[in-house]
Amino acid sequence: MTGLARGIAVKAMPARGILRWGRRWPVLLRFSMLSIAAVAVLFPFLWIFLASLKPPVELSRPSLFGFEPTGVNWSEVWLNSPFARYFLNSVMVGSLTVMVSLIVGAPAAYAFSRFRVGGTGLRFLILAAQMMPPALFIIPFFLMAYYVGLLDTIWAVAIAHLTFIAPLVTWFLIGFFEDVPRDLEEQAMVDGCTRWQAFVRVVLPAARPGLAAAGLFAFIMSWNEMFYALMLAGGHSKTLPVAIAGYWTFRGVDMGKMSVAITSAVIPVMIASFFVQRYLVRGLGGGALKG
Amino acid sequence: MGHRDRRLGRRMVLPLILLLLAVQGYPMAFAVYISAHDYRLTALSEVRWVGLEQYRGLLDNPSYWTAMKNTLVFVFGAVSLELLLGFLVAYLLWRPVPAQNLFRAILLTPMFVTPIAVGLMFRFLLNNQLGIIPVWLRSLGLEIDWFGPDLALFSLILIDVWQWTPLMVLLLLAGLEALPVEPFEAARVDGASELQIIRHLTIPLIRPVMLAAILIRMLDAFRVFEYVYAITRGGPGERTETILFHIYRVGFLYFRLGEAAAMAITLALVIFVLVVLLFRSLRRQEALT
Amino acid sequence: MFRRIAGFVMALGMLASWLLGCRPAAPSPVTLTIIMEQVPDTDVIRKLLPDFEKENPGIKVVIDAMPYDAMRDKILASFMAPRATYDVIIVDNPWMDEFVAGNFLEPLDDRIRGIPDYDFEDFVKPVRDIGVVGGKIYGIPFYNYALGLIVRQDLFDDPAYRDAYQKKYGKPLAPPTTLEDYVRIAQFFKEQSGGKIYGAAMQPQRGYKVFEEWKNWLYAAGGNLLDDQGKVILDRPEAVRALELYIEMYKTAAPPNSLNWGFDEALRSMAAGEAATMMSYNWMLPTLNNPQGPAGNLAGKFALYEVPGGKAVLGAWHWAIPRNAPNKDASWRFISWVTSKRVEKQRVILGGAPVRVSAMKDPEVWQKGFGQSYYETVLKILEDAEPLARGPKAEEIIQVVGTELNAAVAGEKTAEQALKDAAAQVRRILGQ
Repeated sequence: MTGLARGIAVKAMPARGILRWGRRWPVLLRFSMLSIAAVAVLFPFLWIFLASLKPPVELSRPSLFGFEPTGVNWSEVWLNSPFARYFLNSVMVGSLTVMVSLIVGAPAAYAFSRFRVGGTGLRFLILAAQMMPPALFIIPFFLMAYYVGLLDTIWAVAIAHLTFIAPLVTWFLIGFFEDVPRDLEEQAMVDGCTRWQAFVRVVLPAARPGLAAAGLFAFIMSWNEMFYALMLAGGHSKTLPVAIAGYWTFRGVDMGKMSVAITSAVIPVMIASFFVQRYLVRGLGGGALKG
Repeated sequence: MGHRDRRLGRRMVLPLILLLLAVQGYPMAFAVYISAHDYRLTALSEVRWVGLEQYRGLLDNPSYWTAMKNTLVFVFGAVSLELLLGFLVAYLLWRPVPAQNLFRAILLTPMFVTPIAVGLMFRFLLNNQLGIIPVWLRSLGLEIDWFGPDLALFSLILIDVWQWTPLMVLLLLAGLEALPVEPFEAARVDGASELQIIRHLTIPLIRPVMLAAILIRMLDAFRVFEYVYAITRGGPGERTETILFHIYRVGFLYFRLGEAAAMAITLALVIFVLVVLLFRSLRRQEALT
Repeated sequence: MFRRIAGFVMALGMLASWLLGCRPAAPSPVTLTIIMEQVPDTDVIRKLLPDFEKENPGIKVVIDAMPYDAMRDKILASFMAPRATYDVIIVDNPWMDEFVAGNFLEPLDDRIRGIPDYDFEDFVKPVRDIGVVGGKIYGIPFYNYALGLIVRQDLFDDPAYRDAYQKKYGKPLAPPTTLEDYVRIAQFFKEQSGGKIYGAAMQPQRGYKVFEEWKNWLYAAGGNLLDDQGKVILDRPEAVRALELYIEMYKTAAPPNSLNWGFDEALRSMAAGEAATMMSYNWMLPTLNNPQGPAGNLAGKFALYEVPGGKAVLGAWHWAIPRNAPNKDASWRFISWVTSKRVEKQRVILGGAPVRVSAMKDPEVWQKGFGQSYYETVLKILEDAEPLARGPKAEEIIQVVGTELNAAVAGEKTAEQALKDAAAQVRRILGQ
């Protein structure tokens, strides 16, 4: 998709320029439309958070406010169930996946951005790999995990997550490396570094925000993934999405506790998302979209 | 670029290629292998070669076709709605508005939530008796059967729209912010209306970004599983049976792995063809600009 | 330049092998790992475990609880391993024949005979029969989930409703015993309450749920899935009648737009006082009647009856030992302990769903549990009950029939057509 980049690689314009001509829609109209959208986005979160504070009887009624809030769901989930452990499992799976992906993906992304290894085709193959239907992989993974005795361990889940996280991270980093000025490494090479040393000592530090953003975004994707996690590790090593689904049993949905679990899983991700948003576009475009 | 750089480049890509061969190539080959066998997890001692039998079986398997059709409807419905809405929101966010950054942060959150939570949230929010949304609608005199036969698939599309329009917004907004200013000013001087500008200037200019965004979203939408799993389980009838859910059912409820693998491979082929088509049109766009 | 990467990868590999290697080594005292579902009945077993470990100092029990959908493939993987991951498993009734057909389960007859006062016959017959395949016992009942009719007794006792019903139909208002009565009473409640209370909270969700509910109707209409010779009789007129009545009920007396409702929505509808009856698991009664439970101040107003027609759909979980389990004696020690008369009684008192006749007839259980009439009704339900489907293909049959039923309720097909299609598919699955 390098060509694509050329197609739309138009220089970012200072916002001032846009200001001058863009006053047609009244600010108030735009503000109110955006407010409506924001309410539509926030409402389900509010609702689920309120549900986590409701006593059981209120959960059968379509009420929003006007109930006695209780902390019993929160204490049940966090103190009287292994939820903290599932939380930790998710953290472990995410960190492991992201670590390996960054180690393997960063040099590859650099090579793609600087040396055009394999041309557009290989790059594209990496993107396509990330999009393969999990259903295609799950069966072999399941059998593999069982043959090597990794079934129901976080290792199995982490390895499965590598199928889409590693390409994703690589894809992401291509864009960030393209933003690192070539002069930097050329200067380093003039100073006597080899190309590899220049990459490690100069380019990587310069792309640090990009690495962090790619890692964080990949972490979120791993954190949210359920299909592999459900199939490969449902017991002691279940991750948060599986734990959330687990409150939905054939004896009914434990709505209060499930709401706690959802809220707990969502909050850290939301906070993390604020940090990555700025970088996301550059990353998702894989060097194709100049932001 | 020197010969040495090229060699270094290849070496730097090698670990990734090896990793992908291990975690993707091998499973993919394995999937192809079991798709050519009568591979049932409950009868592993009776595994036998059946050639293309599994694939031929798919031809006259109505559930498979229904699931494929539903998935395509879902993907096209969801992605086009997301494109429309995403463009609207991105357009609104493009130019300064009070609390712009706050809006941006809020409007992007849904894409960071685990889809199973989104599915379960909406299952209850839209429930006719327990959910608050139908209660409000009823007070407006509206009675909507969200998960009835007519609307069920559409409701799932709406949920997808809620969760993934933000990604569209993100990409399109980036595209908009990268647009040159001069043509717009010229158009304004010529007295073009806002709609004319959007139609003849903005959209053609960000079309490549749109296509890339569509590609990214589309590939992801094919993997829809959690909403179906959490809400309809494929019903009413087979109205919301998506292909991933169907593969899950055949592979992990009936344990007919050979058949499930064959379905997964045909799905991968469909996706591949679509990607190639979209990629081609991206290229053509590029040639034009 | 690659030394760094190589070094890092090696370090990572070493870390991995260290972490993998630090799994518990072969323990001298036996540790039993049991796969279970994340449900309240599992919590009851957890509460009993300290007693078991006290009585059997050499055995430690670890429960691996997971969501239902994650269980089946884990169990199967454990079967195929050279050494089972799970020493004891629990088996849902549609899986039983499939697992036995795969030769995965250990027959238990000799072990049962080895305990003189075990009294296997004390388990209610339809429940214990699920664990008997080809004349051999492979599963010991754990808990039941047979269906009953749960009603709002206060509505049935309300003079206003009683009089109106008497006037309209010329007979007293009472929990229904036939399908026609059930439909009529449900319609009556909806009309009489002006639409505030629906006659029945149903669960027509595709797949397992709709089949589980409707099969009670099928029994009541005198039909079944298979006849005694195992031939498919799902397309007979009785079945069509049962489905037509079921659809009439959905259209005229159930909460509107409830086509995707499963068990949970129906329960909440009952708990919120919006429905007068539902067909559900018998042990939902104590949940509804619990003042701290979902029903709040409606608690105490619910009562349990047999489903119309008397014959109910039976579900049950069984304990079983995988053939490849390493410590079968210890596994059996646990199963025989937890299913013994003594522990069954404790389990039921703690809220577990009963499977032994002796527990259901025990005055101490009545008093510490949910009262005499509840256990007597449960016993009556269990004595005349039959599983949804049997045989190695039960799971697939359930899904296929459940899809057609749901399509018929959705109005996609006529009842007759849906059943014809369902029967044809079941015949194909069974190779008839």
